[in-house]
Amino acid sequence: MPKKESAEVKYLILRPLGYPLKASYHEYPQVDNPKVFDVYAKEQWKGEFVHKSKLIFDVRMFPDFAFEVVECEPQSGYISDATIILVESDSKIIETEIVRDISLDDVVGQEEAKKKAKVILEYLKNPDKFGKWAPKNVLFFGPPGTGKTMMAKALSNEAKTPFLSVKSTKLIGEHVGDGARKVHELYDRARQLAPCIVFLDEFDAIGLDRSYQEIRGDVSEIVNALLTELDGIQSNDGICTIAATNRVELLDSSIRSRFEEEIEFTLPSFEERLEILKKNLGEFPVEVKARLELVAAASEGFSGRDIVEKVIKSSLHRAIAEGKNRIETEDLLSAAEKVKMPSRQPPKQMFV
Amino acid sequence: MHLPQMGYDRAITVFSPDGRLFQVEYAREAVKRGATAIGIKCRDGVILIADKRVGSKLLEADTIEKIYKIDEHICAATSGLVADARVLIDRARIEAQINRLTYDETITVKELAKRICDFKQQYTQYGGVRPFGVSLLIAGVDEVPKLYETDPSGALLEYKATAIGMGRNTVVEYFEKEYSPDMGFDEALILGLVAMGKAIESEISADNLEVGYVKVEDRQFRDMSAEELAPYVDKANEKIREELKK
Repeated sequence: MPKKESAEVKYLILRPLGYPLKASYHEYPQVDNPKVFDVYAKEQWKGEFVHKSKLIFDVRMFPDFAFEVVECEPQSGYISDATIILVESDSKIIETEIVRDISLDDVVGQEEAKKKAKVILEYLKNPDKFGKWAPKNVLFFGPPGTGKTMMAKALSNEAKTPFLSVKSTKLIGEHVGDGARKVHELYDRARQLAPCIVFLDEFDAIGLDRSYQEIRGDVSEIVNALLTELDGIQSNDGICTIAATNRVELLDSSIRSRFEEEIEFTLPSFEERLEILKKNLGEFPVEVKARLELVAAASEGFSGRDIVEKVIKSSLHRAIAEGKNRIETEDLLSAAEKVKMPSRQPPKQMFV
Repeated sequence: MHLPQMGYDRAITVFSPDGRLFQVEYAREAVKRGATAIGIKCRDGVILIADKRVGSKLLEADTIEKIYKIDEHICAATSGLVADARVLIDRARIEAQINRLTYDETITVKELAKRICDFKQQYTQYGGVRPFGVSLLIAGVDEVPKLYETDPSGALLEYKATAIGMGRNTVVEYFEKEYSPDMGFDEALILGLVAMGKAIESEISADNLEVGYVKVEDRQFRDMSAEELAPYVDKANEKIREELKK
């Protein structure tokens, strides 16, 4: 383990902050070409010690223009030639995040997705091995709260490659034409950062079936933009796109055909629910004395998120509000009982 | 789930540009909500098996009917909307009686199935109505055993063995592997019960099943009591346990 002071920074994410003083003639500089900026930045900042929330100033083209360090891997160190410097884009469509706290083991169940994740990790480590058989586009689908986003975060964490996480709704533009442009911008950026993962959350917002064109005027253009990007007229080597949605049936059929694999995330089984409970109650602010088997049995049909957020969290909050310092089976069960949503199925007696 | 088809699914009498009638297709979804019903022909006759879902302890179990006697030699199993099914069954019974009164002979199974389908078809071609959300398995013996399936569009097909309702695909897949037309009554019944077990993904119990059959020898519809059915169920459950382990 190298000493902290001598560690080189692997990744650095900067956020443009602006000038210390404001005057009317100041331009607001934006990164034009990340490749050129990379050289430019390293020439002036090489050897600079950085840590999270430190401000660093441009000294050459726009003297005293400040950037804030928003992410840094490892936590602190020196900028070297090997450092990858990313600047948050102004529009903030593209969030480049390095998530540190989730690993693949934290995702309970979903074995099929994990297998695919391993293939993708292998590919990002060793892109040449795959050649034209590289994993490119993967679709995660399934009910809300089953770990699609969590899986993607875990993947980005273990891959140690840039992870472009995009909320699909942000790719919808204000004017006709904006949407397609934003999609192309995203992939332009991805090509500069490759190898990398592009993660499109809530994908149904942009991958909508084109028969919705009548309802929302920009559907066709975005879908067409996505089609060209996913298929890669330009080479998309080293870009792995993961899309996640919980309404897979809304997607355009030609977009779906671009995904080499559609992985379904299912609601957790009894054993998986038990594991989720155990995992989340491991480090807990108050003492837990509960028979988790009973709770797992009572939470049939719950998603992982339901269990964590609605059962565990709400019973903790209740315990704190009532001044108790222990959670028992009853508390968890009554929280689970409250979650049970009215069934959206039609009345059974109508059908034989 | 279906996408909104630009208004072509609003009226049943309007074709979509690619020649589909969406309301009729949606009616077939209603059939899939129904519990599984299985029909199977064998050397000695034809058998109908239906899964009865008794949702509550308070319910009188015999109020849920899935297999109906239409005439002495014809029976039918339904899957889909209960209310629609009742109307069609009444219609079928009347058609059987009309034939007796008009020609002084019993209606053939094929003729009855056709009449039911003519009736269903009317509800796909005129405005202001909606199609029947129910499929029927019509089984009986003319000279030989007959088994017809009708669907909400009014389409009519004769089968050696088939199923309607929720578990249709599972059952048909199983039959395609295991069915042979020269099976005897016992063998066919057990095959049908095993298929039902596969469809509901658990062991079966005589209380939740309805079984009716017409044999060639006497051309009489009979339904099986739970006691009569019990030995078959036991045999089938052994096989179901094996199948479910796979």
